[in-house]
Amino acid sequence: MQITDRHIDDFKSDRKGITPPLPMVLRLVPILFYGSIAIAVILSSLFFLQFRLAIQKRDGHKAQASALNAERDESKTQRTALEAQIKRATDIQNWVESSRPLQPLVVEIARSMAQKSSIADLQLERMPDDPSQIRLGIKIGTDSTKQLDLTMEKIALLDYRAFSPTREFGRGELDYKAILVRRSSKQAAEEQPPTAP
Amino acid sequence: MKSADLKSILDFSAFRSEPDDPSAAWKKRFPSEKTVFFGIGRAKLTWREISRSGNPSEQESVRVDPKEGLAQASDHIKTLTEQGWCAVSLNTRYVISLETNLSRRPGSEEMLKSNPRAVLGGKFERGKRYAVTHNPETNSSILLTFDEDQTRKTEAIFSEAGFRVGRLCCGAYVLLRHALAETNKTKGSEQPVSSFYIICCEGAVCALVQDQDRWLELRSRTDVYEDDVGPISDLLAPFQSRLSPAIQITLACDEPLPGLSERLAEVFPGREISDLTVPGLLASLMVKN
Repeated sequence: MQITDRHIDDFKSDRKGITPPLPMVLRLVPILFYGSIAIAVILSSLFFLQFRLAIQKRDGHKAQASALNAERDESKTQRTALEAQIKRATDIQNWVESSRPLQPLVVEIARSMAQKSSIADLQLERMPDDPSQIRLGIKIGTDSTKQLDLTMEKIALLDYRAFSPTREFGRGELDYKAILVRRSSKQAAEEQPPTAP
Repeated sequence: MKSADLKSILDFSAFRSEPDDPSAAWKKRFPSEKTVFFGIGRAKLTWREISRSGNPSEQESVRVDPKEGLAQASDHIKTLTEQGWCAVSLNTRYVISLETNLSRRPGSEEMLKSNPRAVLGGKFERGKRYAVTHNPETNSSILLTFDEDQTRKTEAIFSEAGFRVGRLCCGAYVLLRHALAETNKTKGSEQPVSSFYIICCEGAVCALVQDQDRWLELRSRTDVYEDDVGPISDLLAPFQSRLSPAIQITLACDEPLPGLSERLAEVFPGREISDLTVPGLLASLMVKN
């Protein structure tokens, strides 16, 4: 025979409002609730840390960008100064180029005159805008235009080129006007044909 | 759903038994809470603290009317409990009897509490509360009859003293069930048990003769003894002539009674005595179940 030692018989008066405990499986509800809160807190902390790191990175990038901008501005300033120096140097070079004495040009023009030719009038003016350019005005007493060609050849030997030439011929007098531009030494080297070895 | 319900779910209290839930074990009802276990005899009040871990402490007692004793010692006893919860073993004004042919329909034991007339039929008495233990091999049953008026009075006494009664039981009946359960563990009738059960609790004595799984005779008296165990042996001595030679003795007392085993050995010579008694046995059973 088997008799189980089960619960104790209770003779207390009837209780009211006693509810049995909820099934144990429903403990999952508060456990999940607290778990979700814990996960939310952990994720929020992680996100907050990431957010702080992102802000630090952004500030770092901003500082780097500012430094680079400052460097760029400084480079610009240096470049501007350099360009100003280059311009000044170019101006000086131009001035040097333009300050060549006109005497050799006058001498060559005079030497180019043939026996039957004479210079009635000679004007050489530097252009106000570009002193390297020379406005030439010459009146030659001659009966043909050969004298003018000869004179222009002599002028070309001095590395001057004539632009916007105008000529008038009449009554044994040739009136020639042009703007002489001296070729730079570099241009002259480029135009010069290479010499045979 | 009220906010209190939500709170009880979130703090997990909804998954624990309520303190006043009689269907739950005492330890589940009061986890990590100190409670007190009272024993009431005719002119004796005993009590012991049940610790937070469920271990009973040393028993204290006063030999006066329980109502007076409770009034005198309530201030001291209240310090042993945290919220005033207590269990009471009431050992007066009850009858344990052997009955036959009681209804054993499913749910009849529960119905015995709510509608005892439907279970007991002609044996029902108004103003009584019942508990029953059936013999699975025969048609006999042990019926505990408790005076309802006495239980109400006892509850009122403890309420007036500032205690909250969580359980009211009959100590002798609990010990008898424990002794039966400890000796009858094999299902079926292949290994029948023969034993003479002697239960002593707060002055009450209950004796049951079981021969080959059959319950033959039961005698229950309250207020039999105080300190001297002589009245117990005097009450039980007549059984010696009626017990078959193979029947052994099973003894279960709420507290060890000095000299009882020796006295029983004299009264029942040649019979083996199996003593289930340990200090605080009834309190331990009350906490366990």
